[in-house]
Amino acid sequence: MEDSKEMFKKTLLGSVALTVALSAGIASADTSDKKIALSNNYAGNSWRQAMLKSWDKVTSAAVKAGIVADAPAFTTAENQVTEQASQIQNLILEGYDAIVINAASPDALNGAVKQACDAGIVVVSFDGIVTEPCAYRIAVDFAKMGEIQVDYLARRMPKGGNLLEIRGLAGVFVDDEISAGIHKGVKNHSQFKIVGSVHGNWAQDVAQKAVAGILPSLPEVAAVVTQGGDGYGAAQAFKAAGRDTPLIIMGNREDELKWWKQQKDANGYETMSVSIAPGVSTLGFWVAQMILDGKTVPHDLTVPFLQIDQDNLEANLSNTEAGGVANVEYSLEDAKAAIK
Amino acid sequence: MSSMTASLKNLREKPWIWSYLGMLVVWLATISFTGGKGGGDVITAALSFATFTVIVGIGQMFVITTGPGNVDLSIPANIALSGAVAMKVMGGENEMLLVGFAASMGCGLAVGIFNYSLIRVLRIPPIIATLSASFLILSTAIAYGRGLKIKPPLLLSDFTTLQIAGIPVLALFIIVVATVMSVVLNRTLYGRSVLAIGQNMRAAWLAGINVERIRFATYVLSALMAALCGFLLAGFSGGASLNMGEEYLLASIAVVVIGGTSVAGGKANVPGIWGAALFMFMLVTMLNTFGASAGIRLIMTGLIIVAVITIAGGDKPER
Repeated sequence: MEDSKEMFKKTLLGSVALTVALSAGIASADTSDKKIALSNNYAGNSWRQAMLKSWDKVTSAAVKAGIVADAPAFTTAENQVTEQASQIQNLILEGYDAIVINAASPDALNGAVKQACDAGIVVVSFDGIVTEPCAYRIAVDFAKMGEIQVDYLARRMPKGGNLLEIRGLAGVFVDDEISAGIHKGVKNHSQFKIVGSVHGNWAQDVAQKAVAGILPSLPEVAAVVTQGGDGYGAAQAFKAAGRDTPLIIMGNREDELKWWKQQKDANGYETMSVSIAPGVSTLGFWVAQMILDGKTVPHDLTVPFLQIDQDNLEANLSNTEAGGVANVEYSLEDAKAAIK
Repeated sequence: MSSMTASLKNLREKPWIWSYLGMLVVWLATISFTGGKGGGDVITAALSFATFTVIVGIGQMFVITTGPGNVDLSIPANIALSGAVAMKVMGGENEMLLVGFAASMGCGLAVGIFNYSLIRVLRIPPIIATLSASFLILSTAIAYGRGLKIKPPLLLSDFTTLQIAGIPVLALFIIVVATVMSVVLNRTLYGRSVLAIGQNMRAAWLAGINVERIRFATYVLSALMAALCGFLLAGFSGGASLNMGEEYLLASIAVVVIGGTSVAGGKANVPGIWGAALFMFMLVTMLNTFGASAGIRLIMTGLIIVAVITIAGGDKPER
């Protein structure tokens, strides 16, 4: 009697424990005790601000849901390789299970990234990717981003014309890639000719200044090819110079979309806008989470562009906050779809 | 022979002449490349954009003139913050124009006082004090920054982009400001004190100048000029953005030095800042027009700046 009572008690306890364990297993994935850090090299523009905001929004929901234990973001103050390398070393020492990186340089951080891999840490780089083979890369096909601009222009202007190219920040590989894509597009569509090229540093005011400087020396410009963040500045410079507004390709910034909308309403102005959604940081987060979860993920992934056209301009503009960038955040399902 | 030496000596006494000569050479090179096309438009564009460099350059000049080690590195962050605050306060309303202007000046005043208190109270060297202040200021701007890129009031954007016969009105306005500052530098007790402190701080103190009060006024002046630049720049370019001040850090120092102000302090002039700002803009325009790649452009910019400084700064110290 005593025995069976004891036995019953044990069974009860055991089943309770089992139920608790099972329900815990259902409520959260195997990564519930894992910590994922974001190592970011720069925060001083609207794209990066939106990127950090998206990261915070998606990861804090994931932490609340018990999918991961913690997912803080760290940004270096000075956008320098040495600073980010030592930041990554700190993250290794602090025992993070995965580090998601937007890197200041594609190769200069490889040493620190290798150290992280050797310590058993999953490293996922996005946007500013790292070339170290042990890391995962969510790369943007920047060259393609340049090429599709000229393809679009070729459809709109079969006769071609003169192009003004606004480039990004000199010496950054993103700038070289997009520009190479644009030049490839011009090669494919020989009716276009690049008559001027300036660096706008992806900033509206710098672009405005550079375009205003070169405009007086240019013949008629049919279209402006850009890298994002510079379209509105170019429009301002053309207006100030008293020239007809050419077809300016936009880069998904709110000021650019707003200006486009105004022109569209006023005179049916038509263009397109293309960039990368800052929410790609959340794709990085989910990829890291899936790897920690034991899933097999290819080391090289490509991010889709966020392209805005004449007919979905209003919808995208209403989703974009003032001073921000058109954005898409990824869910676990989106991330799963993206790695297929 | 002696007349030539005399005229050379005369030139040496006007170190700002070189920046205007440089500007002229670069302008001629540009329009000869384009076959005379757009010569006037280049000048219009140069005047529009040089204006902003001149505003911060004047403030930086007073700071640098107070002697070795004095420099204001918080200018870019200050531009970002005061531009953002002004745009947000005004919210695009013409009636709020004066309030917005006062708000940006308030930011400038606060930044100037903060900079100086780091230097004076905590005894931090100016380079480090203003640099670390700029981190705090930019972080404030980022935190404040929700809703950046608010459109400026129509009145402000119209005023900042207004041109009469190809001459930007804002440039005329800043030429007046520069003239006033030139008088302040050369004819007022404050200006003479700045020069005296820059030549020898101890001697200036012994002569009865309140050195710290003058330095305080100088850092505040520089911060106010940066705030003015932020206010006008945000109006000119259709809204404030976090990185809109970035290029004014080196530019503010470069125009001071190229304009013939001594980096060692104690010797300054205002006209050179205008010449240097126009020169710098036209230099980039020329290289863009030539189709030079970014690498060549940066190398050439560096070399030409070094050359101008070498020629302009070739005189011997007078003491």
